[in-house]
Amino acid sequence: MTAAAVEVQDLNKTFGGIRAVNGVTLTIAPGERHALIGPNGAGKTTLFHCITGTLRVTSGQVKLHGHDVTREPEYQRTKLGMGRTFQITNVFTDLTLSENMALAIMGTDRRKWVLSRPVSAFPEVRKQVASGLSAVGLGERADHKVMLLSYGERRQLELALALGTRPKVLFLDEPCAGLSPSERQRIFAMVRELPRDITLVMIEHDMDVALGLADRVTVMNRGQVMAEGTPEQVRADPNVRDVYFGHA
Amino acid sequence: MHSAILQAMNGISLAALLFLLASGFTLTFGLMRVVNMAHGAYYLLGGYIGYSITRQTGSFALGILGGGLAIIPLGFLIDRFLIRRTGENHLAQVLLTVGIAFVIGDLALKIWGGDNLKVPTPMFLRGATELPGGIIYPTYRLALILIGIAVGLSLWFLYRRTQIGAVVRAGVDDREIVSAMGINIDRLFVLVSALATFLAGMAGVVGGAFLTLYPGAEWEILIYALVVVIFGGLGSLEGAMLGALIVGLLDAYGRWLYPEFSYFVLFGPMAILMLFKPQGIFGRSG
Amino acid sequence: MQANQVRSVAALIGLAAALAAPLAAGPFWMALLTQILIFGLLALSVDMLLGHAGLFSVCHAAFFAVSAYTVAILQVRYGQPTVIAAPAGLLAGTLLAIVYGAAVRTRGVYFILTTIAMGYIIWGAVYRWASFTGGDNGITNVPAPAIGGVPLQSPVAYYYFVLAVVIACAMGYGVLVRSPFGLSLRGIKGSESRMQSLGYRTTAHLYAAFVLSGAMASLAGVLYVYYNKFVNPVTASFNISIEVALMAIVGGSGTILGPFIGAGVFLGMRNWVSSFFELHAAVIGLVFIVTILWAPTGIMGIVRRLSGQNDSAGSKSE
Repeated sequence: MTAAAVEVQDLNKTFGGIRAVNGVTLTIAPGERHALIGPNGAGKTTLFHCITGTLRVTSGQVKLHGHDVTREPEYQRTKLGMGRTFQITNVFTDLTLSENMALAIMGTDRRKWVLSRPVSAFPEVRKQVASGLSAVGLGERADHKVMLLSYGERRQLELALALGTRPKVLFLDEPCAGLSPSERQRIFAMVRELPRDITLVMIEHDMDVALGLADRVTVMNRGQVMAEGTPEQVRADPNVRDVYFGHA
Repeated sequence: MHSAILQAMNGISLAALLFLLASGFTLTFGLMRVVNMAHGAYYLLGGYIGYSITRQTGSFALGILGGGLAIIPLGFLIDRFLIRRTGENHLAQVLLTVGIAFVIGDLALKIWGGDNLKVPTPMFLRGATELPGGIIYPTYRLALILIGIAVGLSLWFLYRRTQIGAVVRAGVDDREIVSAMGINIDRLFVLVSALATFLAGMAGVVGGAFLTLYPGAEWEILIYALVVVIFGGLGSLEGAMLGALIVGLLDAYGRWLYPEFSYFVLFGPMAILMLFKPQGIFGRSG
Repeated sequence: MQANQVRSVAALIGLAAALAAPLAAGPFWMALLTQILIFGLLALSVDMLLGHAGLFSVCHAAFFAVSAYTVAILQVRYGQPTVIAAPAGLLAGTLLAIVYGAAVRTRGVYFILTTIAMGYIIWGAVYRWASFTGGDNGITNVPAPAIGGVPLQSPVAYYYFVLAVVIACAMGYGVLVRSPFGLSLRGIKGSESRMQSLGYRTTAHLYAAFVLSGAMASLAGVLYVYYNKFVNPVTASFNISIEVALMAIVGGSGTILGPFIGAGVFLGMRNWVSSFFELHAAVIGLVFIVTILWAPTGIMGIVRRLSGQNDSAGSKSE
């Protein structure tokens, strides 16, 4: 039996007096497309941060492909195949797109420690930079500095960077936050086209999009898992309807 | 045993002085996120001004008051027209305020010259007092300890028990929330800043009466204040108190037991602290 | 003319001028030029951290001084030859950087404060430990360095030696900056959180950079003590650490030429100003203030803006 791609066991995260994540248990199979939805403040991003290692859990367990990563720092989890995008775009604005991509490509590669040869002396890196950027439609702007990019283009870069580390599990935190409808289409097309050897876990506000893309959905509210199942099951669940459509 | 107690008192009296300087520095950072390396220069200038006032009027109290008050407008102008332009760029603030300190220091040198100046103290504070246990201790240093305690208690009371203190504490925690609550954050900044500069100037007069004032003193005292703040944590008033005590005692015992290595005695523990809790004892992570 | 070409031509002219200088210059200028090279190298070492990793270290005078003192003590007090003293000096400074590198566990203003305090430890040590370091008087009469048995007595010969070392360092620095390691530092400066999520152990990279930077500062210290022929506690002072940071900023942080240009401006000004002004500390202070508030990208930044380099074309970092 293959290990689950992501396993979260009774995860709790408290800040001061506030329990942002309350006893969440979750299992995601390899290759699955899993959507995480819920109203603002439900704890979705905090849960992401705990799984990816940005935050330390207060209690509970996190496993990636069978490895217990609960105590591991973030960079270690990336080495084990975790990748993520940020809700608030987090790219290197003073560097060029190529340089951004090169950093992502080399993140899990020993060659990032080389100090005696220029980056341009690594043809494989150059190739991966080029293909990584064109995969998100930014190939032509490779030599431009990120600060010249529009917001939508930066979200594309955000996705490219996450993919650059060749992840096995990709966590997308509202990949389309703040984008125009056509830009959303574009990002979603890219996400849909990702190969099945990458597991996808996605926080998404747009219910229709999330339910259209996902194999399974988890609904969170007030730090807890409120409902879980296929998109149809979740759509039909009366509690979910309450939370989203009134009668708080 | 006798010497040990004497050194402890030396340490505590130095701690009192350091607290006056460090408290302003740490609150300025906690609330306004400003690192003001000119604090030492405020100390020196305030001290010199207080010295001149005391010599002219014969009143030590007037000197302390004058030295503190005189720096307030200078501090205000520096904050509003210079430091404000750096936003939260700490690097820029450090360089800018070091430059300001260079200018103030040089001007002070021009006006008061390079000799060691001692702020004259009133008769009743001179000489020594006999304490229980037969310990004879300089009266002035005892007074300094009392001043330190008085200021410490007042600040603590203001900070922890008053409305305005609560607002300041909230501001240290989260600035945006405080301005969102409709409180004029600008006015609060000016107030806290003025208090910090007053304390620095006042410390100069008080310190100048036993450490003397001379070119370079502004850096020597600043470095001690920085270590206090590193120990206690930036932004914490209690941290400034505890840090001042630690630094004062380490300095006193270091000088007494290992004069050639007294800097090590002071900075060694600091280095160890850096390894385990870089934000200081009461500091907050991140 | 393309911006890149302008820069290459300027660099060549600069190099030619540097090589030809002793032919036209008298002893005052030779001394000044040698100083500019040495302090430029020290400023460059600070800028490795400041301009590339985003860390403002205010303790580099400590490495500078420790290596200078080690060389001085070994040559003057223990009669050791250059071939032993110079590497020992370099090693001593680098060892200190290895220890002080622990500071990279902190960030931002805490890092700045920690390095300030660390710098003062060394200053306090060389000042108070008078029995070993000569205290206030320092160590004097450092002999001329003997390279391969031949003593470099003349200032001109030493100038060329320093120039050669500095050029070699600058070239090595250029390679480092363009390397994956150099890029990783700039990534950390841009967004440490992103770097960590990309798989970088950021503290380890910063530590390595700190040690390399400290080694470079130590090299500058070795060059310094043979130039100055004496060393005293001022060499370890906070003032020096702060001034070289300012040199890097005035000249242009993040570039290779910038720190040297800054050193030239600073030292040139200081020599010039102090000949008719007593208030030179105030003037330096004013330079700090003006630069930080109105010209933070320094001279190189101004040059770049004028030669139109702030357009969409990407930067190959200098």
